[in-house]
Amino acid sequence: MTSAATTAPVSRRDSLFGARLREAGWGYAFVLVPMAVFGLFFIYPFGYAIYISFFHWGILGKQGGTIWFHNYDLLWKDPIFHIAIKNTLEYTAGVLPLEMAVGLVMAIVVNQNIRAKNFWRAAFYFPSLASSVAITTIALYLGASDGLINHALGTTTPWFSTAGTVTWAIVVLNAWTTSGTVMLFYLAALQSIPTDVYEAAAVDNTGTWRTFWKITFPLLRPAHFFVMVVFGIGALKVFDQQFIASGGTGGPNNATQTAVLYIYREAFQAFDFGIAAAAGVVVFVIIFALTLVQRLTVGRQEPL
Amino acid sequence: MAQAVAGAQPYIPARARADVARKVIVYLALLVIALLFAIPFLWSIATSFKTIPDSVNVSLIPHPWTTSAWRSIWHDYSFPTYIKNSVFLAVVVTACNMFLGGLGGYAFARLHFWGRELLFLAVLGTLMVPDQLRLIPVFVMLTNWGLIQTFKGYILINLVTATNLFFMRQYFLTIPKDFEEAAKLDGAGYFKTFWRVMLPLALPAIAALAILQFQGTWNDFFWPLIIFGQGNPHLYTVQLGLAELRFTYSTLWPEIMAGSVIAILPILAIFLAFQRFFVSGVVSSGVKG
Repeated sequence: MTSAATTAPVSRRDSLFGARLREAGWGYAFVLVPMAVFGLFFIYPFGYAIYISFFHWGILGKQGGTIWFHNYDLLWKDPIFHIAIKNTLEYTAGVLPLEMAVGLVMAIVVNQNIRAKNFWRAAFYFPSLASSVAITTIALYLGASDGLINHALGTTTPWFSTAGTVTWAIVVLNAWTTSGTVMLFYLAALQSIPTDVYEAAAVDNTGTWRTFWKITFPLLRPAHFFVMVVFGIGALKVFDQQFIASGGTGGPNNATQTAVLYIYREAFQAFDFGIAAAAGVVVFVIIFALTLVQRLTVGRQEPL
Repeated sequence: MAQAVAGAQPYIPARARADVARKVIVYLALLVIALLFAIPFLWSIATSFKTIPDSVNVSLIPHPWTTSAWRSIWHDYSFPTYIKNSVFLAVVVTACNMFLGGLGGYAFARLHFWGRELLFLAVLGTLMVPDQLRLIPVFVMLTNWGLIQTFKGYILINLVTATNLFFMRQYFLTIPKDFEEAAKLDGAGYFKTFWRVMLPLALPAIAALAILQFQGTWNDFFWPLIIFGQGNPHLYTVQLGLAELRFTYSTLWPEIMAGSVIAILPILAIFLAFQRFFVSGVVSSGVKG
């Protein structure tokens, strides 16, 4: 290397520059298509959504001039939008603690010294991977007025088509499907806790219950935070289950309206893209604000 | 962990008793959870072999046993078309993500170019843009380009995801540089180094990406509904077809359950075959659609 540099310093530097240029060229070539996709379908739509929300925008495109915040004003005055947001937040507030609790319990159970560990983990994780449409239709079948659940309970409530129960039925359904994924994250976190803290607890004769609450639970803090943010944002997107349960109407009595279903209905049933885009912007702001609040409170020290 | 605790106190009977109690509780919990997880699946399979009047009876054994629901979704409700469409989209989208995610991930991990960090920040930024916000502008764009009601439109917006690219980049960062330097000494160009040396080395990551992406596309309901959902049944995927079946014939339970089994079965098969990739992929990429 050094001998080459001393014998031909100028051409060496030239070729070095040429090599860097060549490397950069290939670098740009390799990221070109991915960056085009991200730019076109993620970054540009961010601004475009705001733009569309400032117009009367129908199936044939924009009509007339800018109306600025008129669509937001209409949203603000639309009781259905309020119900949709309320339902979505209620659902999130219900499903998040439940899936965290169930996921954590499952992680602790499969982390014990048991036979066929991998089989149990796989079995609990599988519902997360199965099609949400299929899972929801199965749930509708089991929860129908003459379905298995009502036979077992001796009742006849159609859980997924009664206004007072459908949100909670979907909370239970989705906690059931997603807690397997939550379990995996908790499991990874549990296994990264050094064993000597447990040994110290054992020497001090600390009971199992106390060990869990005083040692394990606090040490899982990064995992709590991670699960809360990722699954909290996921919960705010809830759509498939309500869409399938209501046939896309949001009924009965608007009980299955969610933020995303509201956007969908405004766009593809009322053909008002301006309002739908405005609703998308509002939902984005809500998600962003909640993530920020969560990060500032629960996850202060956790970089994510 | 349980061993460590038990091992520290082997001669204290109270501990041993507590351990037995703990074992019982653990196995009981396992059993209850397993039953809760298995019953819905078993129930749907059983129902798919029942007759309609029998489908409201509480029994896992169909009486009489019939395959009429299966024949009917196959011949009367176009499930072969739906399956073909779902497989096609899942295979194409997965292949594109493997290639472009790998290529982009490799460039961000290894190649030096001006503005790399800034571009990478933009990649991560896309994770902040939720579908709720993208839905309308992306739909309007695809409409303007004549790509609504086409497979092309769906494939285009799903060519590569930031999650996959990020996942591949993280994996490439863990591969020692010696391999590339050896390839460079042999006179291999950048693409050849990527294709012949780095991609094979990243096989575990590529496999995890492929499996998770296939699963994600197969299960996707939202975007197919947006792009194909406005009444063009020959473009329907299995998920759309199943939803349509439920909306149109709400109490045709044997047929609906047979459709659900079809929607779940391929993923179950892949899961059983590649279990460890699912687990490693989910934990390291940290995202589930």
